[in-house]
Amino acid sequence: MDNRSNSNAILGGLCVLAAALVAFVWVPLDVDSGVVEQVRRRVQIGDSLAPVTAAVFIAIGGLVLLLVERRVPGQPAFTLHNLRFIALSAAIIVVGFLIMRFTGPLTVDVVNLLTGSELQYRLLRDSAPWKFIGYFIGGIFVVTGLMAQAEGGITRKNLGIATAVVIALILIFDVPFDDLLLPPNGDV
Amino acid sequence: MGVGDYILQGILAFFLGSELFSVFGIPVSINIAMVLAGFLLGIMVGATPGLAGPVAMAISLPLLLSSFGYHASALLPVLGFLIGIMKGATVGGAVPAILFNTPGTPDAYMTTLDGFPMAQNGQAKKALRIAHFSSASGDTFSDLVLFVCAPFLAIIIEAHLDLPEKTALLILSLSFIAAVIGGSPAKGLISTGLGLLAVFIGTGEDFYPRLSLGTDQLARGFPITTAVLGVLILGAVFEGIDNLVREKRETGSFSAVPESGDQVLHWADIRRLMPYISRSALIGTAIGALPGIGSTLAATLGYTVGKSRHQKRKSTDDLDFGTGAPQGIAATEAANSSVSGANLIPVLSLGIPGNAAAVFLILAAESIGGFVPGPAVFKFTTDTVNPELVIAFGLFTAMAFANVLNWTIGGLFMRSMGVMIRIPKQLLLPSVLLLTLTAIYIQETRLEAIWFALGFGVMGYAMRKLEISPLPFVIAFILGDKLELSARRAFSASGNDPFFLFSTPIATILMLLAIGVLVYTARKRRLEASA
Repeated sequence: MDNRSNSNAILGGLCVLAAALVAFVWVPLDVDSGVVEQVRRRVQIGDSLAPVTAAVFIAIGGLVLLLVERRVPGQPAFTLHNLRFIALSAAIIVVGFLIMRFTGPLTVDVVNLLTGSELQYRLLRDSAPWKFIGYFIGGIFVVTGLMAQAEGGITRKNLGIATAVVIALILIFDVPFDDLLLPPNGDV
Repeated sequence: MGVGDYILQGILAFFLGSELFSVFGIPVSINIAMVLAGFLLGIMVGATPGLAGPVAMAISLPLLLSSFGYHASALLPVLGFLIGIMKGATVGGAVPAILFNTPGTPDAYMTTLDGFPMAQNGQAKKALRIAHFSSASGDTFSDLVLFVCAPFLAIIIEAHLDLPEKTALLILSLSFIAAVIGGSPAKGLISTGLGLLAVFIGTGEDFYPRLSLGTDQLARGFPITTAVLGVLILGAVFEGIDNLVREKRETGSFSAVPESGDQVLHWADIRRLMPYISRSALIGTAIGALPGIGSTLAATLGYTVGKSRHQKRKSTDDLDFGTGAPQGIAATEAANSSVSGANLIPVLSLGIPGNAAAVFLILAAESIGGFVPGPAVFKFTTDTVNPELVIAFGLFTAMAFANVLNWTIGGLFMRSMGVMIRIPKQLLLPSVLLLTLTAIYIQETRLEAIWFALGFGVMGYAMRKLEISPLPFVIAFILGDKLELSARRAFSASGNDPFFLFSTPIATILMLLAIGVLVYTARKRRLEASA
């Protein structure tokens, strides 16, 4: 934290700008009715009023930051380190869930290619072991990836713990319940 | 039905719910088992640094809904389990604070100040006993206030507040929460505005779902679980991992301190601690009854007031606060534990959640249906049975039963939970993240929900880094639809009066208070900055 930081002023300015964009660009272009509407000679509140009110909240908050809290000491800032960290974390999760999404169907395709059978993942998505393949591999990727990020590298121990965690989650969420679908089986 | 009949029906609904098993021919209700399970889980979670009650509530909710279904008979076991977690986590938070100088929950931070020095002096067990006794006392007192105040408050509100006043009351709640949480009213307003904007996407009365950018994904709006769990839980997990990355902190091993001296909590000790416990219980209950002010502030205030009393009255051989004074633990634990019961006063009487735990109780009630927390619950109808009122008294019974568990087995279970500190955060947090995302997916069964939750998680992380509290966002997200509906009805009922929020004296007072609280806190902040 820096006592001379101007992060409040930057955040306030961005909020005022975002609120103006919402109220004067997004709402008029993407909402059918106005702030108030006349329907059959009766005036009623339109769909635009609520989001405009939300924008007013954001704008007032931004203005108070700009005008009142501009010089308060100890202003926090969103640093380049924070940006790098969250981008890497999000990337690990996105890649992990993409692995989850496609590993099961790909495995079925490979099995079909090797055995000449005509299996379809959609029909197998509620049968073991097919339904666990994507979640198992993608889940291990996500947990190991984030552990590696925290510790600065992948270790065999973390891989083992991630495997145990994913198996435990399968036992908690899938085995006792007939009506629950693990990711990605609701989408395929 | 009279008041007594409703209370009796509520007690019977709790104790004579679906039979789980019988002991010597006496049926044991599933509700009893669920409160017990939730309470023990809550203590475990509270005793684990990096976890907290809301995390356990978030993860349990989809499993509970899947197990008990979406009908009124699911309300008591599901809400009972969540109440058990809420109470257990409050007690459990003191364990790592005392044993390892690491608060299990943020509100247990002040407990470290005297609890850890006591443990270092070989008085760990006694410190844990003091923490448990104070916590259970504060919690019980707060629940009694809830049982008495919530129905009266609800009846007064239902009798005197019409649509414009109820709309103004919702605005006052949002403005109050924005102003008091996190220290910066400006950031509170931004958080509230973002929450309102998010909930208004894909909703509305027009044929075209507003702000949906013409996409099917946004046309359905953001599922409440993605917004709440994303901002609250994923955001906290990201921040926790980031702290680990930055600090490169090693968990290390803990050196055991041998026990020394008397570890029993005697009546003489209790008599000495009671003035501190009672003051802190009053402070915590008063703070808990106001939506949005958390148990951390209650703990700080309770500790400060206790410290000031201790300075004046302590004898020469008494330890000072901060050096291992038992009174310090008592003052903190009684204050933070008495928040949890009182926090349900705005939930049950107004339908307004005051903290993260209350958010999950409302979420569970809304998902199951048949119980809408708010003033309408406490309609004492005499000609017909009001089932919501029976559920409300059933919930009070669940809370009282959780208190009995706390007084009987809570202390013993709590003292055995020291082992939870040994779970390294770098292994725990990624596992919690996958657990949360899995819980979201099995509720929504579409990958879009994961992407939405991830987006909200990133937002929650950024908000924490910028010291914008995510709680106003979550509360605004939950109250947004209610606020819009209430405003539409009030506008229509007032004959399209554009000044309907100022049409009655009570509504005007509530609106002036809403503006006043923001102006006052902003002014105070400015004075603090220039000092």
